[in-house]
This record gives sequence, structure tokens and C-alpha cells, in this order.
Amino acid sequence: MPALSVNLALGNAGLLITLVAAAVGAASGAVALIGGNRRAIAQTHLFAWPALLGTVLSVAMMQIALAQRDYSIEFVQQVGSSTTPTLYNVAAMWSALEGSILLWVLVLVVFTAAVALRFRSRRDDPLVAWALVVMYVVTTFFALISFGPASPFAAGSTVPVGFDGPGPNPLLQNHILVLFHPPILYLGYVGFTVPFAFAIAALVTGRVGEGWLLETRRWALFSWGFLTIGILLGGWWSYEVLGWSGVWAWDPVENASLLPWLTGTAYIHSVLVQQRRGMLRVWNLSLLVATFSLTILGTFLTRSGIINSVHAFAAGEVDGYLLGFFALVVITSILLIGWRGDRLRAPGSIDSPLSREGAFLANNVVFALFAFIVLLGTVFPLIVEVVQNRQTVVGAPYFDRLSMPIGLVLLFLMAVAPVLPWRTASTELLSERLLWPAWIGAASLASAVVLGADGWAPLVAFGLGGFAAGAALRQVALSTRRHGWRGLVGRTNGGMVVHLGVILIAVALAASNTHTHSATIELERGREVAWGGHTFELVDVVREVDERTDVARADVLLDRSGVYGPAVTTYLQMGMTIGTPSVRTGFDKDVYLTIDGTNPPSVGDSTVVLRVFVKPMILWLWIGGALMALGTVMSAIPSRLHRRPTDPTSVSLSGGAR
Amino acid sequence: MRRRLSWLAVLFVTVGALAVGASRDGGPLDPGDRIDAISRRIACPVCDGESVYESRNPASEAIRSAVREGVRAGGLTDDEVIAEVADAYGAQVLLLPRATGLDALAWALPVTAAVVALAGLASAFRRWREAAVQSGEATDDDRRLVERLRAERDGDGSGGSR
Repeated sequence: MPALSVNLALGNAGLLITLVAAAVGAASGAVALIGGNRRAIAQTHLFAWPALLGTVLSVAMMQIALAQRDYSIEFVQQVGSSTTPTLYNVAAMWSALEGSILLWVLVLVVFTAAVALRFRSRRDDPLVAWALVVMYVVTTFFALISFGPASPFAAGSTVPVGFDGPGPNPLLQNHILVLFHPPILYLGYVGFTVPFAFAIAALVTGRVGEGWLLETRRWALFSWGFLTIGILLGGWWSYEVLGWSGVWAWDPVENASLLPWLTGTAYIHSVLVQQRRGMLRVWNLSLLVATFSLTILGTFLTRSGIINSVHAFAAGEVDGYLLGFFALVVITSILLIGWRGDRLRAPGSIDSPLSREGAFLANNVVFALFAFIVLLGTVFPLIVEVVQNRQTVVGAPYFDRLSMPIGLVLLFLMAVAPVLPWRTASTELLSERLLWPAWIGAASLASAVVLGADGWAPLVAFGLGGFAAGAALRQVALSTRRHGWRGLVGRTNGGMVVHLGVILIAVALAASNTHTHSATIELERGREVAWGGHTFELVDVVREVDERTDVARADVLLDRSGVYGPAVTTYLQMGMTIGTPSVRTGFDKDVYLTIDGTNPPSVGDSTVVLRVFVKPMILWLWIGGALMALGTVMSAIPSRLHRRPTDPTSVSLSGGAR
Repeated sequence: MRRRLSWLAVLFVTVGALAVGASRDGGPLDPGDRIDAISRRIACPVCDGESVYESRNPASEAIRSAVREGVRAGGLTDDEVIAEVADAYGAQVLLLPRATGLDALAWALPVTAAVVALAGLASAFRRWREAAVQSGEATDDDRRLVERLRAERDGDGSGGSR
């Protein structure tokens, strides 16, 4: 069928164009930069455009191939199915390894083109050109994987007439979030390539001052924001789909996304110390290198199949490449940092631990420790297997136990740090500024106790949450009182709104982790069962069959006020059965219903066994996530009231603004 | 003075609320909650790192009913129930590394890292302070002195933010 192989040919051609453009761009850019050829340096940006076009062509061909169910392509044989609805068919591209890497390349070339566009007025600046060269190197690597070992356009074996594929994994075609969670996560993951590229460029050019930091501040913030939203959407998806009522399981793939988030979060804090005081240069570079290399390492850990994970939808022959690239990134970066050691030496010093920069440093130490623990727990089964050749699992209870004290320390820092001035603070000043936040903390602790909360750890979390929220609100209130509504946006207040979101999430997690109750309830048609302050009654068992799925749903009357329908869905093409929970969401608590086991109930059944979870405050997780997103946007909007960081400090506020 | 009283009140409320709240922590409310708490600590033996609590696999259902029996029988602590399951299914169902042998590293390394990080932080601050003293820059003590004198000059309460 000639019309069909066009997809394959053009898809491969597109990837080849990207690969060649990126490789030639990297090589010619590096040669021009080393030789000092200014005209050639200024042309480095040109290669971003063919690289972009090539990948866009490839992605378009993949989407067309999926839409046409072009079974001449192996990847489509693997994830295509005539029964998949259009939206999930679009998302089928990232339901397996090869397509995921293609998505990665797409995001990468878009970022590269965005850098070329954003810095078009400084094409001959070696810093910009080196950053582009680094981006081309990374693009070359991923395009190479995508063109070679993980090719989404490999020719499939001959299939019989009338062949139909299985479609994506059932978990990847039963919730709309499959369209958003992976691409948004990738925007965050891949986005950190930009600050990383500028960091390497700064090391190579020797311009290790604060210039490159300011250039990439918004890029880092943007990536961090998308990584945050991507992780939270993953939690939401897990909650809505997986049926165990949890949002976070400390699964290796989840940890792989959390690791760069932790180092990235440390970076967006410590970068403020460098901007303000010119210090922590090596540390900031290391954090960026760590963030970028952890995305590669995480992809390796989870895509090589060496660690078991519920996310292992995709394993393939790319582990050697990823591990090699990871080693290349780490070694090159360390060598560069060592080479520039003399220029990186910080001119100033941090005078007092009781200062804004002291608090940022403490924050960084805690985040680095957190990242170390998550990494250790994730790879620990590997260590045990190598040393003692035995299988182990390090699971959620380990991470829960160790992250709890870290979370409490971070809440405490969030309370104290925002009120600390730069340089040094007196206890007098602290006692003045922290009094109202402390009252809010004490009040939230007391009200939690009145509402029936118990256990010292969650109570401390509620108290510190209130304390930290008080400090954040104090900052926002002071700024808006001083500057009106214009004072609301900008880096500091945006950061405080992000803090409020984090606090909501921390408090909601503390509440839901310690005060979730569950039960297995046998429901009989027409007979009301009471449990945990709620009533349940089986109304009917309904069956809905189409060509894709066979859904058996139990309609349950909850608290005599609403009918909820947890279901068991059998995906006919794959023969896989998954449960779909049904949730009544409320501001105080969720009631989460799911059918126990994986055996679908039958129409006419008079009894159904339900698993019921009552979970407090879950909705506040998502509200907190929305606040974090809002705060990120606010902090990206330049506040005209703030002086530019490069202006001398002595310029008055209003003078610096105009 | 009023501020100091206010801080004392904060302290009083905090300690009181914590004491009341923490002392009434009676553990899991009913057998169901206990079964949940225990099954969160056991891995499903066949399903890629999910806990028995999360998994719907028949193997997990079997372990869950073993846990249920252990809890219903009474007299066993959570750890003992888990040890029984580990005896029956092998140590690879433990989600929490043991504190012996190689597994103990999973606990020792984070603690070591925390101690090293704190010591590093402390020594960095000491180095910076010494550098400040040697270079004749203002130290914390100097600043405190200036601040106190300023506060005395300006009268109490207006201790400036800038």
C-alpha cells in the first residue's frame, strides 16, 4: 500500500533532518566558537529551524499514521486500534517508549527554536551560541535514539488483512488526563535543558557572573512550574484512575519526576542568593547540572526496566545510550566546573545563619538531602541485587517515614525565611515580625485539635502550616498595602503564593495520610448499609458494552442524596480488566467508592462488594496545585516596583522602577 | 513587654494543643484501619512494587486476608503480623528495609548525610565569620551593637525593617 508507507518514509526523513541539523549545528557552532569566526558564530541559530521542522514533520506523520491505523509501522501495530477514540488515539503516541522519545525530541526542538528566537538580537554573542551548541548536542542525542534504537517509524512485520492492534494500555485510555499529564511533565523535564545549556555556556566562555542567571531565570521558572503541574496532574490521575485512593505511591517513575523537581526547587531559591550577593556560584551550577542529569538518569532508571514500576508501559533498548549520556553530562560538567574553579570563587560571605541567605542555604541543604534520600530509596533495590543477588522492594513506608521530618523542617523554614532580611537579623526583629504568623500557627493547631485531629506529626504539620501561611500572607499584605494592587505581582509575592499552595498541599497530605478510613462493605440491593457516618445502598448493576469496552457498573446511592457508579471495565482488545472508582468530592472530605477485586459484577446481581475510602481534604491538594501555578505565573510577571537586579542597590525604589 | 507576653501565650496555646492532641492518639480506630496500615507496609509479591494496600491482584487479596486474620486473632502487634507474612512469602514482600545487614544502609546513609550536611553548614558559617573578622568587616556582634544603639536612640518599638 504505497499511500501508507509515505507516513513511514516522511516520518523517518523528518527525524533524519532533525538529527543532521542538530549534529551539524553543534559541530559547526563549536568550530566557529573555538576559531573565533564571528560570522559563523552568528549563524549558529539557523540550525534550530530545520531541526524544528524535521521533528514537526515526524510528529505530524506519526499522528497521521495513528489516525489511519497504518499497520505498516511497528509502533502503530503496538499501540493502534480501530476502536480507540480519537482523543486517546492522539495520546497513543506517548503510550509507549518510542513515541515518548519522539515527544521528548519535539519539546526539545521547540525549546531550542524558542531560545534562537528569544536571543535573536545577540546571535554573535558567544554565550548564546554556546548555549545553542549545548542544546544541539542534547537534541542530537535524543534524535539519534529516536532515529536508531527507539525508532517510532520502524517498519512492522507483515500483518494479515483485517489486522487490528491492541490499542494503548487500558490505563492510558480511560481518563482525559492522559492528554495533559505527560506533555506538561515533559515541558518541565525538557525545559531545564535551557538553563543547563546556559550554565555550560557560562562555564565555557568564562562569563560565570550573574548575567546568564538573569537570562535564564524565567526559563527555569517556566520549566519548574510545568514540572510542578505535571507531577500534580499525575497524582490527580492516579487518584481518579487507579482505585486505591492514593495520589502518590513513591513509585520509581514518580520518584524520577520528583528528583529533578527537588533539585530544581533548590535552584530557584539559591539563585536568589547569587543574584543578590554573587555567592553560591558553584552550588547553583551543580544544582542545574544535577537537575538536568537527573532527568536523564530518571529516564534511564524507569525506561530500562531494571527497576520494577507500575509505569513500566514502555521498556526498550535505550538504556546503554541513556547511561552513557548521563555519564557524559556529569563528567563534562564536573571538568568544566573544576577548570573554571578560580573564577567561580565567591567574592562575599554569608555573615549570619539568621539571614535571608542563611535560610536559603538551609533550604538548599534540606532539599539536597531530600533528593539524596529519594534517589537512595529508588536505587536501593539495585544495590542489594548487585551486592547480595536478592530481590527487595523499598516502598512508600520508607519514603513516608523519612520525608515526614524533612517536610516539617521545610514548613518551618517557609515560616521563618520570608520575614528574614538579607545579611543579618536580630531576635528583636524576628519576634516582631513572626508574632502574627505564630498566632495563626497556634490558632490553626488549636482548631485542628478542636476538630478532632490527633497524632503529634500531623498536628505539628498543621501548626507549622498555619505559621508558614501567616508569614506568606504577611508578606503579600505588606506589599499590597505599600504598593496597591501592582505590588501583588513580582517575584517575591509570586513566591509567597506558591508557598501558600505548598502549605495547602502539605496540610492536605498530612490530613489525608493520617485520617483516611476504609472498609470493605457488602451491599445488597434495596438494603441500606451505614458505615463511617455515611449510608450506602445498591440501586442497580448496569452493563454497557461497545466495541472497545465492557463496563459493569454498580450504581450506589450515597447518603440518600446522590448516585455514584464505581465500575469494572474490561478492555476487549487486550482482555485486561481495570476498576474505575467513583468519587464524591467535598471541601471537607471525599467519599471514594470502588468495586472490590477485579471481577466485574453481573447484571441482576443482588449483592456487590465495595471498597470505600473516606479521605479528608483531598480537594485542597488540587486547590494548592492551582495556587502554585498561579504563584509561578505571578512571579514571572515583572514587578515594575522592583529594581532591576543589575542596578546599583543605592538607587531608590521609584527611581529604579522607571 | 506586651510582645513578650503575647509570645508566651502563643507558646502556651501550642504546647497545650499539642499535648491534648498527641496524648489522645489511640492508634488506628478499628480493625479495618489497622489492616490498612499493615498492608501498606507489605509489597504485592507479583506486581512491580505496589503495596498490598494499593494492589488488586489476587496474590494481594490473599495476603490481605492473612493480615485480616492476624489482626482479628488479636494479641499480635503490627510488626508481628508483618513478620508472619514475611515468613510465608519471603523477605521481598517487606516494603520497609530491615535495620540489619546491608538493608541497614538504607537507614544509616540518610542519617549520615544529614549529619554531614549540618556539619558542613556549620563549618561554612564559622569560616565565613572568621573571614569577616580577619578582613575587618562588620561582624554580627558589631551589627547587634549598632542596632541596639539605634533602637535606644529612636526609642523602643520602631526597630526598623530596613
